[in-house]
Amino acid sequence: SLASPSSLQGPELHGWRPPVDCVRANELCAAESNCSSRYRTLRQCLAGRDRNTMLANKECQAALEVLQESPLYDCRCKRGMKKELQCLQIYWSIHLGLTEGEEFYEASPYEPVTSRLSDIFRLASIFSGTGADPAVSAKSNHCLDAAKACNLNENCKKLRSSYISICNREISPTERCNRRKCHKALRQFFDRVPSEYTYRMLFCSCQDQACAERRRQTILPSCSYEDKEKPNCLDLRSVCRTDHLCRSRLADFHANCHASYQTLTGCPADNYQACLGSYAGMIGFDMTPNYVDSSPTGIVVSPWCSCRGSGNMEEECEKFLRDFTENPCLRNAIQAFGNGTEVNLSP
Amino acid sequence: EAPLGLYFSRDAYWEKLYVDQPAGMPLLYVHALRDVPDEVPSFRLGQHLYSAYRKRLHENNWIRIQEDTGLLYLNWSLDHSSWEKLSIRNGGFPLLTVYLQVFLLPTALREGECQWPGCARVYFSFINTSFPACGSLKPRELCFPKTGLSFRIRENRPPGTFHQFRQLPMQFLCPNISITYRLLGGENLPFRCAPDSLEVSTRWALDRERREKYELVAACTVHMGAREEEVMVPFPVTVYDEDDSAPTFLGGVDSTGATSAVVEFKRKKGTVVATLHVFDADVVPASGELLRRYTSTLLPGDAWALQTFRVEHSPNETLVKVNGSFIRATVHEYRLVLNRSLPISESHALQLAVLVNDSDFQGLGEGTLLLHFNVSVLPVSLRLPSAYSFTVSRRAHHFAQVGKVSVENCQQFTGIHVQYDLQLSSANCSALGVVTSAEDTTGILFVNDTEALRRPECTQLQYAVVATDQSTHRQAQAPLLVTMEGTYMAEEPGCPLSCAVSKRRPECEECGGLGSPTGRCEWRQGDGKGISRNFSTCSPSIKTCPDSHCDAVESSNPNICPQDCLRGSIIGGHEPGERWGIKAGFGTCNCFPEEKKCFCEPEDSQDPLCDELCRMVI
Repeated sequence: SLASPSSLQGPELHGWRPPVDCVRANELCAAESNCSSRYRTLRQCLAGRDRNTMLANKECQAALEVLQESPLYDCRCKRGMKKELQCLQIYWSIHLGLTEGEEFYEASPYEPVTSRLSDIFRLASIFSGTGADPAVSAKSNHCLDAAKACNLNENCKKLRSSYISICNREISPTERCNRRKCHKALRQFFDRVPSEYTYRMLFCSCQDQACAERRRQTILPSCSYEDKEKPNCLDLRSVCRTDHLCRSRLADFHANCHASYQTLTGCPADNYQACLGSYAGMIGFDMTPNYVDSSPTGIVVSPWCSCRGSGNMEEECEKFLRDFTENPCLRNAIQAFGNGTEVNLSP
Repeated sequence: EAPLGLYFSRDAYWEKLYVDQPAGMPLLYVHALRDVPDEVPSFRLGQHLYSAYRKRLHENNWIRIQEDTGLLYLNWSLDHSSWEKLSIRNGGFPLLTVYLQVFLLPTALREGECQWPGCARVYFSFINTSFPACGSLKPRELCFPKTGLSFRIRENRPPGTFHQFRQLPMQFLCPNISITYRLLGGENLPFRCAPDSLEVSTRWALDRERREKYELVAACTVHMGAREEEVMVPFPVTVYDEDDSAPTFLGGVDSTGATSAVVEFKRKKGTVVATLHVFDADVVPASGELLRRYTSTLLPGDAWALQTFRVEHSPNETLVKVNGSFIRATVHEYRLVLNRSLPISESHALQLAVLVNDSDFQGLGEGTLLLHFNVSVLPVSLRLPSAYSFTVSRRAHHFAQVGKVSVENCQQFTGIHVQYDLQLSSANCSALGVVTSAEDTTGILFVNDTEALRRPECTQLQYAVVATDQSTHRQAQAPLLVTMEGTYMAEEPGCPLSCAVSKRRPECEECGGLGSPTGRCEWRQGDGKGISRNFSTCSPSIKTCPDSHCDAVESSNPNICPQDCLRGSIIGGHEPGERWGIKAGFGTCNCFPEEKKCFCEPEDSQDPLCDELCRMVI
């Protein structure tokens, strides 16, 4: 549906009861005969091709009713956890039963991020030696410093050179690279390297074009981002939603980065860290976002899609795209990280 | 989309609710527009209150709807304890927004399924205080809901009322504040705001193909005693499209409605033979559905044609200027494509018809269009020039390139495979060979026997060049005369096999190497500007090496031109070639083909050191 109210866009439901992870909830359900038989029923309901007809079926409805009271209903997953995909499959098997049609925003299956950005700022400032002469730091290339810092760390260097060499490897004159492998290597980099390294490379602040171009090149966009054709954003979203991981990362981005008019920073609960984390969490999937150009200060990020060909859904498409291109929360979070300021008030 | 007679003019409504508001208080109107004139809407509320993300909070015991008017009102006062109960169900958040679903009857929709056009969501923000004093309300709050108004109206539908300006709770609880509304920018437009009812209606049916967005402004004047204040908010209306335009041609066709195409030298599978553009003023079906609903069929006829051609369709949104503003429309590109590579002997003239079907078209007449392609497939005959004549130096080394032979129009060939051969017609002085270059269908002549080159009796070589098409075995022939020139001189002792080994100009130019046509290597002086494509290097002939292209002769031996052909490691500042070799290098690049290595290093400075001091001494 189009346009839901701003106050509803977010994770207001997060953070009130410590959630059980879905793998564990599944074990709890399996130990109880009523729950496990209903869960089996529901999975059969969802496995059919004509999901909506199946769900209208009495038995499927009854199974859903019962499962809404089980630990499976409120369970959540953790980013990069063991069996993350299995956890998400369990989560969506219940939640897909509850959504008919396309919802604009979906609840995030991930646990809310509680750590604050200041922890990372502290580390970042150790690396860059902030407090130095401001004239010197204005001239310095933060993105280059970030790359250097990564190269000094064995793990970061190894995973960075791994994705760079995979994403740069030309297959043939018509095939620039193996996109699937490149995405996988990028996911490994962002999952396994601590965020004090990865965020510094991704969100470094720039004064000139050379620096901003380096920032844009971080994810090797000619392989991982650009494509021959620019699909429609809503079509791209549908593709993303057929994949449990992509769907979850997108829902998490919406939950943590939606523009909130009730907070100082424009972010839900003033949590920049959660927004930056869920932005980085989409790199390596169909919805991979990136900087659209190498402008040093006018930061615009977007997935590789446009709203051409939207038909009667143009407003919805533009609303979807604006969550990337004109999102004050995301923009403030990126700028605040780059400037090393916890809270940056921008109008 | 199910053909549902009525539709909501919005998909979401918003209202505020305060604690302990009185039963009977009107909340808001929802509006439905008609698809056909005599439909009458009947509204029904869903049974549950939902939280964000569709969690069912409670059965709806508080809000009712008037079935015929669409008026939502409070049937039961929402007191503190009910409010707390809902809040706890929602996780105890202080900000509580819930929604109700409103359905249009008759529908068989399930409770969980709320999709525009047959269902709209009504959001209520619960505020944990009682209603504020009328005097403390700001004009903005009094006039409009917090979230912007925007409306969707389908084109070609009967006009009707789609909005009602009054904020009913305000009017109910603060009857002494007088509020009037106006619609600005609506002159000559199909919208009307009745001064008495404060209802906004369309006056006639809209047409998206004439205008698809109306940016109106709603103005509200609040009279509080002697004070008067005006508030303005945007009031956008979007016209929704239906498939009421049939496809038409967009240029590129002749008077008979056909486009013509010739297949001659480009015969490769996948070649685009002809392109036709079809215009459709509609933007529905949208991209996700389009290829399924907008079909193109190559009409049966010739079995040969069906096997040889296929049609590719790519739709593209475009903007058309209508009455000074831009409106979206669709241009469909239809490409006739070769489905297989055609042998050079094939010759055909035929007309192909493609049926384009806009299957959702609902207007008058046909939603189909017939595309015609007049295609001539011409045969290609292989022709070589009447005679070739080249000279070759007696000092030339093995693999030295002597010249090129090619059939007419070979540069344009795709999908045609020609092989070149040499037939010796004179004495046994066979010094040359030929290889076929796949990229441009030419044959490169090269020295393949240096011993024969030097024999005194071999002063002239006579060959016949034979070009053979691989699929039809058709051939062309031409005589080739090669004259020897110069005298043979023995190679300097200690020279390397490959020119590329030399790192400096003197050692490069005093030796020859594999592939050198003059018996001496050639030095290329680079520009010395960082990592450059024009790096310094030693090569058998700077015409062919390095040129970032490993040609058919060079690829036959790694010693000829490793700069273009190396498959190994490059040490030093460089940019690797697209497939192999060096694309750009820093300073001078020299190579050791046996070890599969090249080195790119800055030139050692050869200028004598001279600074201010030395000038003064002189």
